[in-house]
Amino acid sequence: MSTLPYAADAESPLKPEELQVLRAQYEKEGDYVGIQTKFNYAWGLIKSSSRPDQQEGVRLLSDIFRNSPERRRECLYYLALGNYKLGNYAEARRYNDLLIDLEPANLQAGSLKGLIDDKVAKEGLVGAAIVGGLAVAAGIVGSMLFKSARRR
Amino acid sequence: MASPEGRSGSSRDQYIPPEDDDPGLFNGVNTRQIETFGRKVTATAGHLMGGPEGSFHNTLTDVHRELRRPLIQRSVFSFAQTTPRDLARSKFIPSEIQQRAISSLPDALLSNIPQDHNAYSLFQGFQATLPEDPESPKVRHGRHNSRGRKLLEGSREQLDDGQPISRLRNEKTSLSHRLEMLEVRKSMCATEIREIDNKISNLNTMRKIVLDRLAGLEQDEIELEHDLNDVDNRIEDMQEEMDDAAALAQKSPGSSAGGDMPTTSGEFMSQSIYQKLPETTPKPKKKRHVPRRVSTMILHEHLESGSKIKDMQAHNDLITALDFDAPFGTMVTASMDDTVRVWDLNAGRCMGMLEGHLSSVRCLQVEENIVATGSMDASIRLWDLSRADYAPMESGTSKDGNQDEDDGLVFENPEDEPPPPPPTSMQDCPLFSLEGHVAEVTALYLRGDMLVSGSSDKTLRQWDLVKGRCVQTLDVLWAAAQAATTMGSSEGQWRPTGRQSDSSADFVGALQCFDAALACGTADGIVRLWDLRSGQVHRSLVGHTGPITALQFDDVHMVTGSNDRSIRIWDLRTGSIFDAYAYDNPITGMAFDAKQIVSAAGEDVVKVYDKTDSRQWNCGPGVSETDVAGHLAVIEQVRIKEGYMVEGRRDGMVGVWSC
Repeated sequence: MSTLPYAADAESPLKPEELQVLRAQYEKEGDYVGIQTKFNYAWGLIKSSSRPDQQEGVRLLSDIFRNSPERRRECLYYLALGNYKLGNYAEARRYNDLLIDLEPANLQAGSLKGLIDDKVAKEGLVGAAIVGGLAVAAGIVGSMLFKSARRR
Repeated sequence: MASPEGRSGSSRDQYIPPEDDDPGLFNGVNTRQIETFGRKVTATAGHLMGGPEGSFHNTLTDVHRELRRPLIQRSVFSFAQTTPRDLARSKFIPSEIQQRAISSLPDALLSNIPQDHNAYSLFQGFQATLPEDPESPKVRHGRHNSRGRKLLEGSREQLDDGQPISRLRNEKTSLSHRLEMLEVRKSMCATEIREIDNKISNLNTMRKIVLDRLAGLEQDEIELEHDLNDVDNRIEDMQEEMDDAAALAQKSPGSSAGGDMPTTSGEFMSQSIYQKLPETTPKPKKKRHVPRRVSTMILHEHLESGSKIKDMQAHNDLITALDFDAPFGTMVTASMDDTVRVWDLNAGRCMGMLEGHLSSVRCLQVEENIVATGSMDASIRLWDLSRADYAPMESGTSKDGNQDEDDGLVFENPEDEPPPPPPTSMQDCPLFSLEGHVAEVTALYLRGDMLVSGSSDKTLRQWDLVKGRCVQTLDVLWAAAQAATTMGSSEGQWRPTGRQSDSSADFVGALQCFDAALACGTADGIVRLWDLRSGQVHRSLVGHTGPITALQFDDVHMVTGSNDRSIRIWDLRTGSIFDAYAYDNPITGMAFDAKQIVSAAGEDVVKVYDKTDSRQWNCGPGVSETDVAGHLAVIEQVRIKEGYMVEGRRDGMVGVWSC
């Protein structure tokens, strides 16, 4: 599928008034909202930089996924992307891997996979480093306390 | 924070020389502290593991391997899947957990992903939707200038530069992009229409289900009302019996006190008397009156307009008049076969016959339980249907309906006609008769305590129903003559219509009154508006060229139908024509309700004029059975109330339709 946006596209938020247009359209259609309108709003939300918006976007996407089977394959990618933006790498990877299984040639999904791996590796290492650093600090403090206690 | 290019080879080389890395690292701390911190850790780890000549990549993979190996670390961080931050979020923050619970998809759904065959992707749709605002002026601009641009192109071709070509190419790409977007938008619209169609069909099926439910409820309602009526009657009977027993008991102590009889025998005595009671005392005839409907029927309002509700072979000859009180209520029909029949419209059964007129009934009206009939024998009779002896539900329930069918089979009656009503069912109905006209009564209108009738003796009479007397006689010819002398014009004067063939038409074709206002349409094609207080004609509506056969007015408009084939709608406030239309044949019957005007115009269909959207359409047996159009009888009379239409035909059939 050549018509999927790359992850970089999700990083550029819409202007507030543009998002407002999408939101107004979505709210206007009420209960009988069309898929496209729903998606437009969801994608606008995911592009946003505020975390609650992104979460709402992912929720809408999962709605679309549930309700319209013919759009599931596309939604998979957007779900992966949305979850990636949210930092839910486990979910992102779950959806993306599934999509890659279905469409091994999907460039966007491939690049997203790379991005996810990257992020996980980096943040994981940082996390490990932080934990390690804390342990070291605790050790130092502990040993100092121990030493001071001993000195007394 | 950490951007993807942070991992690119150049930065790696820049920061981390293979052997000694510490000085380089310290330069980087200022800018990207965390990243470098991480690198430092990994590098240190690599250093510790003793890979002196290995590249950073090697050390990194080593670290990965090392980190993955221990079971504890793996279980805590699940490094292969996600990061600690993600893990912490998904495990410890309630709002995050909630959000994930909502948006996460179960594996069952994930396993069911069909191949898509969509004309456009959602993202294309998004692209096509979003840039509409900035692009639209451009499009307009382009359209405006297209001709001028072409001229420019023409002039530039002569120059034959390289620069305009590239510009044109750009333009071509942008135009083709726009074309693409338009294509996407088009398919978006198509998809949306398909979606809406699906929704509509869904809603239609839902509507049908609810409609069925409504029909069931109304049936239940009828049954319950019948049961209620039954119980009422039984309570009445019981009350009567108790009253009688009480009266007897007052007498009996005197007689039983004389003997020394034990209480049991006394009981026995009273019991026997009690049992004899119905036989000995002449019991007043039980009144099983048909109750007024408590509930209103609304089913017909939701049926598709033009659909048939019922068909009845009411008479064997031409229907001369018919009327009903309410949808699914009681209908009275009169025919040339000199009978007047009362019908239960819900069950489609004949409730009985109104007997008393010496000749056939020409006009009738049903108002609540009161029926007024005007006959060729010059008399008007009034009937009270609430005194009829009729059990409405005898064949109403499905069980009884089956029994009826069985009976039909037994009696070899394949038409499944309900059994004829007992001849005595209406014997209590006649109230009184109004005599006074000297020729056939052709039109009447009943309202409250007042009845107005029009006759071939060329007079109108106003009757007081409380006293049962004629209170006023209006001479149409005299009024016409007076109008001619006072106004000095031919307007309002009696004039025989141009069509002498209509001499058979009724002198008074139709009339209706409201309070002191009376409208009557006569054979000269004039509608006269009378003031009943003065007995004068105060306005004449001239326009029809044939005898008026039908007339009805509400608070604003009067609608008249005539033998001149036209329906005219008059504005009562100005007295002028509001609208008019004509059919192919003389109008024999016309009525309207809030929404539509229905006319019987010598065809096998009822002509319906929808007042709200000025639409003409046909309703009736001739609509669906076009191939046998010749066999269907012509519709003579029609009535409509609240979208519930009843029509009577020349062959005695009566059809009920939803309009």
